[in-house]
Amino acid sequence: MKTIEEEIWAYIDDACEPAERLEIEAKIASDPEYHRLHSELMQVHLMISAEELDEPSMSFTRNVMEQVRLEVPPVALKTKVDNRIIYSIAAFFALSILAILVYALANSNYSMSGFKLPEMRLDLAMSPEATSFSVKAFLFLDLALALVYFDRFLRKKLSTK
Amino acid sequence: MGNMQLKQTDLELIESVLNGQTALYAELVKRHQRFVFTLALRFAKNREDAEEIAQDCFVKAYRALGTFKQGSKFTTWLYTITYTTAMTFLRKKRLQTDSLDNEENTIQLENQISDYNADGIEKTSAHVFLYQAIEQLSPDDATIITLFYKGEQSLEEIAQTLNMEANTIKVKLHRARTRLKEKLQHLLKDEVKELI
Repeated sequence: MKTIEEEIWAYIDDACEPAERLEIEAKIASDPEYHRLHSELMQVHLMISAEELDEPSMSFTRNVMEQVRLEVPPVALKTKVDNRIIYSIAAFFALSILAILVYALANSNYSMSGFKLPEMRLDLAMSPEATSFSVKAFLFLDLALALVYFDRFLRKKLSTK
Repeated sequence: MGNMQLKQTDLELIESVLNGQTALYAELVKRHQRFVFTLALRFAKNREDAEEIAQDCFVKAYRALGTFKQGSKFTTWLYTITYTTAMTFLRKKRLQTDSLDNEENTIQLENQISDYNADGIEKTSAHVFLYQAIEQLSPDDATIITLFYKGEQSLEEIAQTLNMEANTIKVKLHRARTRLKEKLQHLLKDEVKELI
C-alpha cells in the first residue's frame, strides 16, 4: 500500500502507469491534502532539479593529468593477454613432453616379458606382429583422446560458471 | 582538433586512450569532473578533501580503463569508482577524527556558511538552503539524490553504482527526499524567524 507521498513522488517522477497517473491527477485536483502535498513536493523537486553542480578548482584537470602521466598507459584487457603467447607456451610444453617421451623410449631397454595384457577372447583374424604394437598404440591414442575430452569438459564447466 | 574531440563519445575517447592517445583522457576528465566533484563533496563536506577524492577517482579510473567493458555506460562505472573512493575516504576520516571532538567540524561548517553569508544575494537564494539541507543529509541519501537528479541515472543504474537492489534504491530515494523536504522546511522556518 503506497502512502500519499509515494504516490505523488511516482507522479512527479513519471514512474506510474497511465491509469494510475490519471487517478492521482484527479486526486490532486479534488483532494486538498493531495493538492497541498503535491505543491510541497513539486517545490522540492524543482529546487533539486535547478541545483547546479559544483565546480572544482581551475587546475583540477591539469592536476589529474600530471598524476596520470606518472602511470603506466592503460591497454585493453583483451590485448593484454595475447593468444599467441598462450599458444607458444602450450606448444613449448607439448614439444617438451614429446621430446622427453621420445628420449625415454629410445634409451630404455624396453621389454614386455614380465607383462601380460589381459587375455581377451576375441576371435579376430590379426597378424601376430600387428597385435602387440597396434594394441598399445590404440590404447595410447584412446588415453590421449580421453584426456582431451576431459580437458574440454572441464573448460566448458568453468565457462558456464 | 577541439571540435573533433567534442563530437567523440565517451566510449570513443576511451578507445583512443587505450590505443595510446593518453592525452585525450583530459577530455574525459573535463567532461565529468563537475559531477564527480559534486558527488565527492557529498561525502567530504569540504572542497579540499572533495577535490582530493575526485582526483584520486580519475587516476583510479585511468589505471583500470583497460578493464572497462565497452558495452556498459562509462558514467555508471565512473560513479561506482567515485562512490567506493569516497567511502574509503570517509572510513579513514572517521578513524582519524574518532579521537577528536566535533570542534573542527563545527568550524568547517561555519566557514562554509560564512562563504555564502559574504554574498547578500546568495544568502537568501533557495540554492543556499538546498545546499545546507543536502549537507545535513547522510552521504548515502545525498548521493542517491545527486545521482538521480544530476547524474542522469536510472534507479537500476544507481543500484549498480551503489551495489544495491533497485527496489532498495527506490525506497531510499523516497526517504532521502522526505528527509530533504523536512530539512528544507526547518531551515526555511528559521529564516522566517530571523526576518521577524
